[in-house]
Amino acid sequence: MIRFASITKTFSGVTALAGVSLTAATGTVHGVLGENGAGKSTLMRIAFGLERADHGAIEIGSSENRTSSGPRSPRDAARLGLGMVHQHFTLVPTATVTEACVLGASHGLGLVDHAAWQARIRATAAMLQWQIDPDARISSLGVGQQQRVEIIKALLSVGSVQGTASPFSARGVLILDEPTAVLTPQEVDELLPAVRRLAAAGTTVLFISHKLHEVERVCDAVTILRRGAVVHSGPVAGLSTQRMAELMVGTTVNLPSPARQPVTGAPALVITKLSERANAPAPRLTDVSFTVHQNEIVAIAGVDGNGQTALVRCVLGLDRADAVVTPGIPADQRLAGVERIGLIPDDRQHEALVMELSIERNLVLKDHHRPPFARYGWLDFAAWRAHAVDLVQRFSIRGAGPAATVASLSGGNQQKVVIARELHRQPKLIVAINPTRGLDVAASAEVLERLVSARDHGAAVLLVHHDLDELLSVADRVLVLFGGRMTDSGWPACDRAHIGRLMLGVA
Amino acid sequence: MILKWAPMSEAIIAVGAATLALALVVGGLAIAGFSPWSVIAVGWAGIAGSPLRLAICAQEAIPLLMCGLAATLALRSGVLNIGLEGQYLLGAVAAVAVLTLGPVGSCLPWLALIAGGLAGALWCAVAVGLERGRGVPLVLSTILLNVIAIHVVGVCVQGPLHDPATAAPQSAMVPDGSRMPLLFAGTPLHVGFLVAVMLAVALWLMQRRTALGFELEVIGLNPLAARFAGIPVGRRELTAALGSGALAGIAGAMQVAGVTWFLSSDVRSYGYAGIAVALLGRLHPLGVIPAAFFFSGLDLGARQLERRLDIPHDLGDVTKGLALAAVLVAGALSRRLGSSRPGTP
Amino acid sequence: MINDLLIVVVIAQTLTAATPLLLAGCGELVAERGGVLNIGIEGLMLTGCIAAFAVTAITGNSWLGLLVAMGAAMVLGAGFALMAITARADQIVAGMALNLVAVGVSGTVWRALQSHGVTELPASAGFSRGWFGWSGWSSFNDLPVIGPLFFDLYGLSIATAGLLLLTWWVLRRTRIGIVIQAIGELPDAAAAAGESVHRWRWGVVLFAAACAGAAGAFLSIMRTHAFVPEMTGGKGFVVLALVMFGRWRISWLIAGCLLFGLADSVQQQLQSLPGSRALPYQFFQMLPYVVALVALAGLSRSAPGPAALGKPWPVSR
Repeated sequence: MIRFASITKTFSGVTALAGVSLTAATGTVHGVLGENGAGKSTLMRIAFGLERADHGAIEIGSSENRTSSGPRSPRDAARLGLGMVHQHFTLVPTATVTEACVLGASHGLGLVDHAAWQARIRATAAMLQWQIDPDARISSLGVGQQQRVEIIKALLSVGSVQGTASPFSARGVLILDEPTAVLTPQEVDELLPAVRRLAAAGTTVLFISHKLHEVERVCDAVTILRRGAVVHSGPVAGLSTQRMAELMVGTTVNLPSPARQPVTGAPALVITKLSERANAPAPRLTDVSFTVHQNEIVAIAGVDGNGQTALVRCVLGLDRADAVVTPGIPADQRLAGVERIGLIPDDRQHEALVMELSIERNLVLKDHHRPPFARYGWLDFAAWRAHAVDLVQRFSIRGAGPAATVASLSGGNQQKVVIARELHRQPKLIVAINPTRGLDVAASAEVLERLVSARDHGAAVLLVHHDLDELLSVADRVLVLFGGRMTDSGWPACDRAHIGRLMLGVA
Repeated sequence: MILKWAPMSEAIIAVGAATLALALVVGGLAIAGFSPWSVIAVGWAGIAGSPLRLAICAQEAIPLLMCGLAATLALRSGVLNIGLEGQYLLGAVAAVAVLTLGPVGSCLPWLALIAGGLAGALWCAVAVGLERGRGVPLVLSTILLNVIAIHVVGVCVQGPLHDPATAAPQSAMVPDGSRMPLLFAGTPLHVGFLVAVMLAVALWLMQRRTALGFELEVIGLNPLAARFAGIPVGRRELTAALGSGALAGIAGAMQVAGVTWFLSSDVRSYGYAGIAVALLGRLHPLGVIPAAFFFSGLDLGARQLERRLDIPHDLGDVTKGLALAAVLVAGALSRRLGSSRPGTP
Repeated sequence: MINDLLIVVVIAQTLTAATPLLLAGCGELVAERGGVLNIGIEGLMLTGCIAAFAVTAITGNSWLGLLVAMGAAMVLGAGFALMAITARADQIVAGMALNLVAVGVSGTVWRALQSHGVTELPASAGFSRGWFGWSGWSSFNDLPVIGPLFFDLYGLSIATAGLLLLTWWVLRRTRIGIVIQAIGELPDAAAAAGESVHRWRWGVVLFAAACAGAAGAFLSIMRTHAFVPEMTGGKGFVVLALVMFGRWRISWLIAGCLLFGLADSVQQQLQSLPGSRALPYQFFQMLPYVVALVALAGLSRSAPGPAALGKPWPVSR
């Protein structure tokens, strides 16, 4: 059982949580729904002892475990019987499963009894009906397996600190923060029953998500947060997903779903039997062939690490590949040429932007060496400023003006800087990789709309995306990459589950 | 290594750090029984007591300034060339070879500078080659090449460059006609000082106003973004590395062509000091000039203190290290304050 | 006599030459596994040299000299930790600052000692060979082969072997090793487990400093019985290369140190060959460093090292 009593938290004057109360009963799965910035993460950070509440109290297990303003530290939280699985895993890649659990679920400096730890790990895994090798290296495990390790680690941390023989204890509380964000549909299908089994064993689970159908499937009750306040709390039964969405967002949001157009344009990207050399690390791209035409969005679905990175590098000309042809753009001009590809890379802070430099400088990057921005290698800053002012207005970048650093912008506006730089020349071919990662619903919709509108104006768009729902909402065709091989799903003439099976190579 | 172009606050950090280091050392001496006022007065007299002393201070600043510029060029571009020490020595060896084995003439010192620059760049190229070809980190290869360079000097001054007139491990003297011309008659200050200052201004303009400078800055701040922006990162980094090696080599050549006029096995290198100078100058080509004077002034002042008050001159080195430490901490703290403003994600 | 055979002499010299490298390397290996690259090892060793020399020369007590050497290096190491860990400054630059200060401090102390007439160790002070002076052992020194290779060593060489074994065991079998791995590979994981990354990194840096200080003491009060300014001559830098050569593993580090020690021992023998006058002695002195560089270059590219090595934590943008 866990009870939050009117938790309030402000960050430098901005209210993140305004009197949030929530009670999750023992042995239930309680969903916490909300948009990015609604306060879910802050609430969970307080519960886990990473932040302290300004006011309010948290009660874990029973009333003698009542702490005003929350646990003092993650270790304190574990002592009270609360474990947490973060959205971003904190597993050391070079460690073994056992070492990861020893690190996360015990303290002290002493000798490690490997055999005892392995037994506990196996026992916990068996309880959840999972197979896990305690000696496997974390780096050799897939994302779904790593998440299992995180869950076992969190359970052991609660159990071991309490000193109970069984890793499970009735008063244990487990927070799962966006546990399905990184999983394929099939992995989700395996996780959710395990969550139910946990609850059946007496654990209280807080299930943080913004995916409504998952909440509907797994949760007994749900609390919906909006702008730091509870807008609804109650049983899931009888609450439609449409109603949940309205409560969560406030108004009904429609993802862009434009009328599909017949493919008519000329080819802008032609890949013919692209294979990596025989000794390339797995997954090796093998016989990948496809064409992206003007006026269409071709989306590539797939679990991260199935060859997306290598494919994108070949398309961009970072790695040499004769099998990739971009008509009208020589390979060495794909990134910075006059007729270059519009590129929205995966990690905007590291791959697209120079955070320490101004918006103006980031906007001119790639064109900085040619007129009017430079003549004979000599820079013309007046032209830079005019260019920046123009783009800031056209792409409605909201911040402290073109001279402010990119680091001072919000994530959504940082992405707008990237989009402005990449799309203002109306490139014939656009490559976008996870373009909405880390953005809230409104900012994501805006990014996707930009891609759709570019497509409608004649651009060919190659979209590599991790969020299947968003991907399907804009794609004209969907290709699936699994183990370095490419399959055409036949979308839109197939269903979502078929794509999910292709992503796991079980179709 | 991440700095913005904000000259005022940078200057405050640098001057504050230098002052703090001086205050600590003078304070320490006060505890040891030396009056702070006499320490300062004697030290200052050693630096600026006469026009001649000032000229010596400027002359001592030349190699520091040159190595400081070399470090600025490399570090700003994200190239961890800490092999300036060895590149300086190789530059000196090449220059002595040109000056003592070649003909005598007024164009010879300039040829020696070119030879020194090439030698420095070449020594740096060895390290870059090891990194690109064999994956040896530049930090490690350059550090080892520094140690090897000291022994290369030893081998040369006992072997091919040895002065047969003496048994000591040293080269022959550079003939009068082949030395760097003096800037002011009656002082030891040679025209290399002007060259170094002009190079500082040129480097500043390059960094500030040219496409190459902008690209190097982007590479220094975020090499991955530079790569994705189509900048040929490998080639630009090579340019910066070889450029910094060449500047260090020229520094060594200038010193033998203008100041020492010979090379011996216990030659002093300014490579590590140059990196410290560059950091104290906040990696700004113009900031490096006062920083170089600060270091050369510390050397001169400390020697005067040793002569007059019997204080070990090594305290000058301690002061340099403390100043570097202080500027490092201040820079890190100011960066942290700058990045934790509210509203920053 | 078999003990005068060249091979036995060279191996004995190798063990002696490798001792300071193994000692400092053991500490630096632990620090680098914990994510801290300290290029100030050279300066810490130099600090150890002068501190051990000064204390032993003044008090005549070499044990005190060894302890003070470790303590002095730890004080400077704390300065480094303050810069590189607490203030999150660049580790390489902080290491350079450390080297500058160490050169200055050791020179200052050396000149102060000279001006007070302290220039050499008393004949009775300093460690001699053979298991920390337990005289019983010295009777074994003349045993064939194992005498010079096992009993006629400095005590610190034997202690170093023990330290290496202990470090290997701790890294492998205790939770200390697991936490050090975490702070070097993914500090966020250690922090999430409730460990203080900064405190642990301070710990590994201080351990490395103590080791480097002891290595310096070995050079001044055991191997040479003297202090010469900048007497470490780049050995601290070689230690960095050897840790990388050893792929951050104790067993490989030992191999690397012995290889360098062997190169050093061989060059000493080469210098004493009759025909060697044709080449300047610096040529031979240079050889071990060239060997170190070539060994590094010969290493395959597949040893990236701890993922968070050299990176301040927490990373702020």
